[in-house]
Amino acid sequence: MTTSFEVAVGASGEAPTRPRALAARTRGLRKVYRGTVAVDQVDLEVPEGAVLGMLGPNGSGKTTTIRMLLGLVRPTEGEVELLGHAMPEGAGAALPDVGALVEGPGFHPFLSGRENLHRLAAAEPHLANSDIPVAVENALERVGLSAAAHRRYRGYSLGMKQRLGLAGALLVPRRMVILDEPTNGLDPAGTREIRRIIGELHDEGVTVLVSSHLLAEVEATCTHVAVLHDGTVVAQGELDELLESGSPGLLVSTPDGDRALEALREERIPARLTPDGVRADITTATAPQVVAALVRGDVAVHEVKRERTGLEDLFARLTQDDTEPAGLSEVDEVRA
Amino acid sequence: MTTLTAQAVPAARRAVPLTRLYRAELRWIFRRPRTLVVLGLLALIPAIIAIALALGGSPRGGPETQGLLTAAAGNALVLPIAALAAGLALLMPLTTAMSAGDAFAGELAHGTLRGWLLAPVNRGRLLVVKALGVATFALAAVVLMSLVGLVAGLIMNGTGGLFTLSGTTLSFGAALGKIAVAAGWVTLQLWAVGAVALAISACTEHPMLVVVSVLAGIIVSTVLLQLSAVDWLHPYLLPASWDSIADVLRDPMPGDGLTQGALRAGCYLVIGLSLAYARITTRDG
Repeated sequence: MTTSFEVAVGASGEAPTRPRALAARTRGLRKVYRGTVAVDQVDLEVPEGAVLGMLGPNGSGKTTTIRMLLGLVRPTEGEVELLGHAMPEGAGAALPDVGALVEGPGFHPFLSGRENLHRLAAAEPHLANSDIPVAVENALERVGLSAAAHRRYRGYSLGMKQRLGLAGALLVPRRMVILDEPTNGLDPAGTREIRRIIGELHDEGVTVLVSSHLLAEVEATCTHVAVLHDGTVVAQGELDELLESGSPGLLVSTPDGDRALEALREERIPARLTPDGVRADITTATAPQVVAALVRGDVAVHEVKRERTGLEDLFARLTQDDTEPAGLSEVDEVRA
Repeated sequence: MTTLTAQAVPAARRAVPLTRLYRAELRWIFRRPRTLVVLGLLALIPAIIAIALALGGSPRGGPETQGLLTAAAGNALVLPIAALAAGLALLMPLTTAMSAGDAFAGELAHGTLRGWLLAPVNRGRLLVVKALGVATFALAAVVLMSLVGLVAGLIMNGTGGLFTLSGTTLSFGAALGKIAVAAGWVTLQLWAVGAVALAISACTEHPMLVVVSVLAGIIVSTVLLQLSAVDWLHPYLLPASWDSIADVLRDPMPGDGLTQGALRAGCYLVIGLSLAYARITTRDG
């Protein structure tokens, strides 16, 4: 890699040359706001070229972590590196190559969308004076806002505001784009649009960090996932690896769950009760063995299906509090 | 341990020229409907004074203002300076405070400051641009009021009767010079107010709080200035020398009050900007 621009503009379609390089990293990150610990011991690694989805319930420290990554907030403890520069000291060197949409779009209501972008573009070090109009129009077109660009921001819908925020992050070809809840307030079509843009950025070799509570979106667009809970990272890694880490299960729908449990335990198949019947663990047994055991036990079976290990399950497992439904506690033990 | 991408960043620019930021800031300030409304209202003040004087009737008010206003009737030189004196008492510091309130607090409230911080604009440069913006707004207000006052005065009285409070008559050029001195001095006083207002603005997210603080500061100062029991405090209060603006109209011009006022404003300017710098460089964005 020679220049930042080549990565962003010229590397279209190329796989990242050094997959293990990190675009951003935090070590032992901690932030205390007036005695409240917002984030603690966060060791986040964003591989270069990855699309990392940052998941976590509200108040889990996603935005605080992003703000520290961008140098907007000084950590109480710990280190932050963004594109190889220590933050917040290296902001001047790192941030021109980083586009960000943090805590919702922030624009002036009395200016039009285009004028707002012009104001933002004026501060972009990578844009020469003569490049600004073109950059603004391109960004507007990329988020599908060209037609409404002349209207005042005041009159924009929530979705249009969000798009304008995204346009601001994409004014310049970036090495890294950080999007905090980009799909907030968007309709399904807008959400698909965001997913498409993230996909394009990924194809261009741009590292993307996207925080979201919309799990399906993350599952659809991300290569990597980091799950935050109570201000700490409880899991991170490649999406596929994380999804496979859960033990596979078979969901049996039956009216007499106790009997089914008994039948399975006789065959030494681990199982537990679910609201609809039982869930059999098939790490050691196969699906036909489970069904055979149920038939031998004379259990009435309505339906047997393989458990879908979606991100939602993973997320629920990782962020579930102890007070939550007991049905998941067994899985928690497996994880622990 | 994985390697970090600490390669040499290209020799691309890391900071935008200050003039470009300043131009963008000015566009933002003077596109804001509120700015234009306030400037328009300020421009009305000399016009209203002119009309009131033309309609006749004896002006009421404090001894100093009354003197100025009486002199303004039938004197093209006095009207702009009388208007500036009236504005400096309260209205112009408040509008300057409004501008300073929008500079940081207002932008923070809209979440727009983040956009520039992430570009990135270094926080020291941000303060420079913001201070220049507020300073330009104050200057624009003063120039506008002076011009409208001058034109109104000329319409009322023509170029004749350019006499000072001391009774001497001035040439038109000398009169313009005096108006320029008054405008410059008032601008400096407003910059001092603006610097303190910027410091407050950097501490809050509520632009209104900045205006209220400046209003309270002026009112408290004015009250304290009338209490001889605390006269040891008077030299430290910015409005202490605001009455001296009438000195511009005397011939020869007594410099004491004006010089003192300029020095005091300079001190406020330095202190205000230092506090604003200390706050804006450490606060979370």
